[in-house]
Amino acid sequence: MASTAKKQGVGSVIWEYLTTVDHKKIAILYLIAGGFFFVVGGIEAMMIRIQLAVPNNDFLSAGLFNEMITMHGTTMIFLAAMPLLFAFMNATVPLQIGARDVAFPFLNALGVWLFIFGGIFLNLSWFLGGAPDAGWTSYASLSIASAGHGIDFYALGLQISGAGTLISGINFVTTIINMRAPGMTYMRMPLMTWTTLVASVLIVFAFPPLTIGLFLLIFDRMFGSSFFLVETGGNTIIWEHLFWIFGHPEVYILILPAFGIFSEIFATFARKRLFGYSAMVFATIIIGFFGFMVWAHHMFTVGLGPTANAIFALATMAIAVPTGIKIFNWIATVWGGSIEFTTPMLYALAFIPSFTMGGVTGVMQAAAPADYQYHDSYFIVAHFHYVIVGGVVFGLLAGLHYYWPLMFGTMLSEKLGKITFVIFVIGFHMTFLIQHFLGLWGMPRRVFTYLDGQGYNTANLISSIGALMMAIAVIILVINIIMTIAKNQKVGRDPWGDGRTLEWSLPLPVPYYNFAQIPLVRGLDAYWIEKKANNGRMMPSESLEDFHMPNNSFIPFVMSFGLFVAGFGALYFASGKDWAIDAVSGLPVHPWAPWVLGLGLAITIGAMITRSVKDDLGYYVTKEEVLRDLEEEERRAK
Amino acid sequence: MAEIKQEPMSKKKLDYVRRERTREMRQQIISFSLMIFLTFVAFGLVAMDVSPQFVIPIVIGMAFIQVILQFYYFMHMKDKGHEFAKLFIMTGIFFALSFVVTFIYIVWIGKPI
Amino acid sequence: MAHMEYNVPSERWPAHPETATMEGKNKFIGFWIFLAGETTLFASLFATYLALKDSVPGEDHPLAADLFALPLAFVMTMFLLTSSLTSVYAIYHMRNNNFAKMQLWLGITVLLGLGFLSLEIYEFIEYVHHGHTFRSSAFGSAFYFLLGTHGFHVVIGLGWITLLILRNARRGISVYTAAKVNTASLYWHFIDVVWVFIFTIVYLLGVM
Repeated sequence: MASTAKKQGVGSVIWEYLTTVDHKKIAILYLIAGGFFFVVGGIEAMMIRIQLAVPNNDFLSAGLFNEMITMHGTTMIFLAAMPLLFAFMNATVPLQIGARDVAFPFLNALGVWLFIFGGIFLNLSWFLGGAPDAGWTSYASLSIASAGHGIDFYALGLQISGAGTLISGINFVTTIINMRAPGMTYMRMPLMTWTTLVASVLIVFAFPPLTIGLFLLIFDRMFGSSFFLVETGGNTIIWEHLFWIFGHPEVYILILPAFGIFSEIFATFARKRLFGYSAMVFATIIIGFFGFMVWAHHMFTVGLGPTANAIFALATMAIAVPTGIKIFNWIATVWGGSIEFTTPMLYALAFIPSFTMGGVTGVMQAAAPADYQYHDSYFIVAHFHYVIVGGVVFGLLAGLHYYWPLMFGTMLSEKLGKITFVIFVIGFHMTFLIQHFLGLWGMPRRVFTYLDGQGYNTANLISSIGALMMAIAVIILVINIIMTIAKNQKVGRDPWGDGRTLEWSLPLPVPYYNFAQIPLVRGLDAYWIEKKANNGRMMPSESLEDFHMPNNSFIPFVMSFGLFVAGFGALYFASGKDWAIDAVSGLPVHPWAPWVLGLGLAITIGAMITRSVKDDLGYYVTKEEVLRDLEEEERRAK
Repeated sequence: MAEIKQEPMSKKKLDYVRRERTREMRQQIISFSLMIFLTFVAFGLVAMDVSPQFVIPIVIGMAFIQVILQFYYFMHMKDKGHEFAKLFIMTGIFFALSFVVTFIYIVWIGKPI
Repeated sequence: MAHMEYNVPSERWPAHPETATMEGKNKFIGFWIFLAGETTLFASLFATYLALKDSVPGEDHPLAADLFALPLAFVMTMFLLTSSLTSVYAIYHMRNNNFAKMQLWLGITVLLGLGFLSLEIYEFIEYVHHGHTFRSSAFGSAFYFLLGTHGFHVVIGLGWITLLILRNARRGISVYTAAKVNTASLYWHFIDVVWVFIFTIVYLLGVM
């Protein structure tokens, strides 16, 4: 059965987490794994900045530098930013819509394990013959020529973790469509739920093209096909299209949930209803839709022709309109509010100018002729770090402080949080503002060093010092987390005091069944309404009765592990074969590879059959147990 | 969660439901015959060596008609409760068309436009 | 308190057993969303195929017009279309709570699917004899990847429906198993939808 608040041994806690299907525990898994990869990606970033701090540096070799930039980008996007957003989505969305769990708890667990195994697979490349080195976009003209197995780790690792992401996306869409509490109409859903919905829809449509693109790469590199081999009729532009058909929606998949987190924070700490709620919702949907119509703006310099460039330039500029609507609505929300400067609110306020700067440089690049000038320079690096760090990472840090009590029942130190904030924001602008100018002065991106006397020295040094400050800020954050866990000072219901949405109406720690009775929602900001119009208690929509919960399962772990094993089989399949591409045909033959591939797939398929054949009917939480919990909570409140 | 809130159906209701199902079955048979017919015509047109400019749009159009029949009648998309299915599939088809069109025109098969 | 009922007595058998429970409804919506994702998956495959069609290394490599034979494609289409109808029958009997007939029609669906699959394998072997393989050219790679992904879906669908027939043989039909059968049937129809585009775009437009 599921967890109860009993004292448990270490072994049973680990087993509980390996088999859990509870969205709150899965959120913690995402947070831990995503946090770990965030630190890994951050170390890679520091390596890059150390190498570039002074001209003619030989801290990293050219090859290792390529591996660093590739793994930094890939890790941060796929293994840090997205999982951390999934952590907050899992922690909040079912609570915000008044559900006891997500629509497919089993698939939720499968998603997190696929991501974790995919991430481990990708990072094992460091120890097994070299990491991928063709950039996070892995353009086929480069990746086909990349010797060794680095690119294979990239393709297979992303394939595994991408499957997990797709599954989670489907799960969230279904949950939000089908599991809302009575009264929770679409136009009463908190913005975090809305942005999760739109981001999940983008995942559903954007990840399949990536799957196909990665398969093309896998087949070319490991099974001897010739999609990208020009001498047998292949075409590398296909990879660029498929990658960006996925890649552009991907940045919206990242930024939209961050928008959601900020919208919640602005309303809470300005103590005002979100300004222009319906405009915010429609702006979110429009951004999501346009996100699919602009991918070729990453390919202006490929030579698609002026007509194609013009169409995509126009569509790209159009996205600035709904984004602008959002920015103005946030400002109007804060305007005249009774503002409380908590750490999350500070990040939210710093986000507005930072993200706007990234957005404005985006519109500059949308002008296709001008983009010929910016393309492949540090201007681009500065632009996307302004939107991704200034938008997504600020959102993650704000969300971490804001939702920490909801996830763990304790508060992160506000004092250390504010110190982190100041150092991080200053460091961030120091690192990336100057890179705009570096780009305009002509420094190309993805070069491992530069010569003395080109005028890049001071700017690069400033940038590296800024990066160091961000690293220090993250270290302080880690100290903050460790101290908070060690102190373990529990907080009660609504710890921020101004919670507006349903998740704050719950006792902390949240019971494993979330709601003793599914609440009745009477408007936007459901909890706030009850605070003002009632005694601050949600009205139940059902009588107190037994209710149904899903069983824990170890199968998701096994299924993901099977694919992890199969990955190694596929990886070494082409080594030393005469039909293989030049990059791997010279490597030693691994005769066991097909067997490992078969074994891994057999494990996965076996797990799937087991899942199908066994009836998994879940169990019932009894009325008596819920009543006991409610009494216990009453006692603690006194 | 898994409880069925279902009262016993009255005789009248049950008869109605049965009648509806039979009617639906008839529609499905009709759409199946239509699909077979469309397939025949499509293969026939191509086999008869009619000019491609004439055949290609017709054949593609008939494929879309078949798919609509399949979705609406075989997969019950015409029934109520399928609003989301419709919305999602149509969005998917819209994106699908835009992918296919770009791949036909701008991967350097002909002149870049 | 109504605990879960799996074997609903026939007088209370719901009009739509597949969506009578919350789990059933979740499965139904979730699976449609999955199918919507599959449209962009297959769109990417079709797009890749169209971009690489007839893109071969040398003069002696066979092209689409040399390879494809319409009669075989027509027979394969008939197999798959008919199997789509038989799975409609299975759902009809499922809704009427007629377990034996449902199993029978599912069985026929599997047989027709197997027929399609063997014809496809025969076809592939023919092409390989003509020198048109997965590794021979970009055209070959794209052709086999598109058709192979569809064929893989057929294999999964056959395995899935067979597994359902076997696992439900003892259990009979219930609101729990009805949801499973309905999802598998939606999947099977979708395979047919994709095939309609394959025979149109690959075969019919290919031989022109």
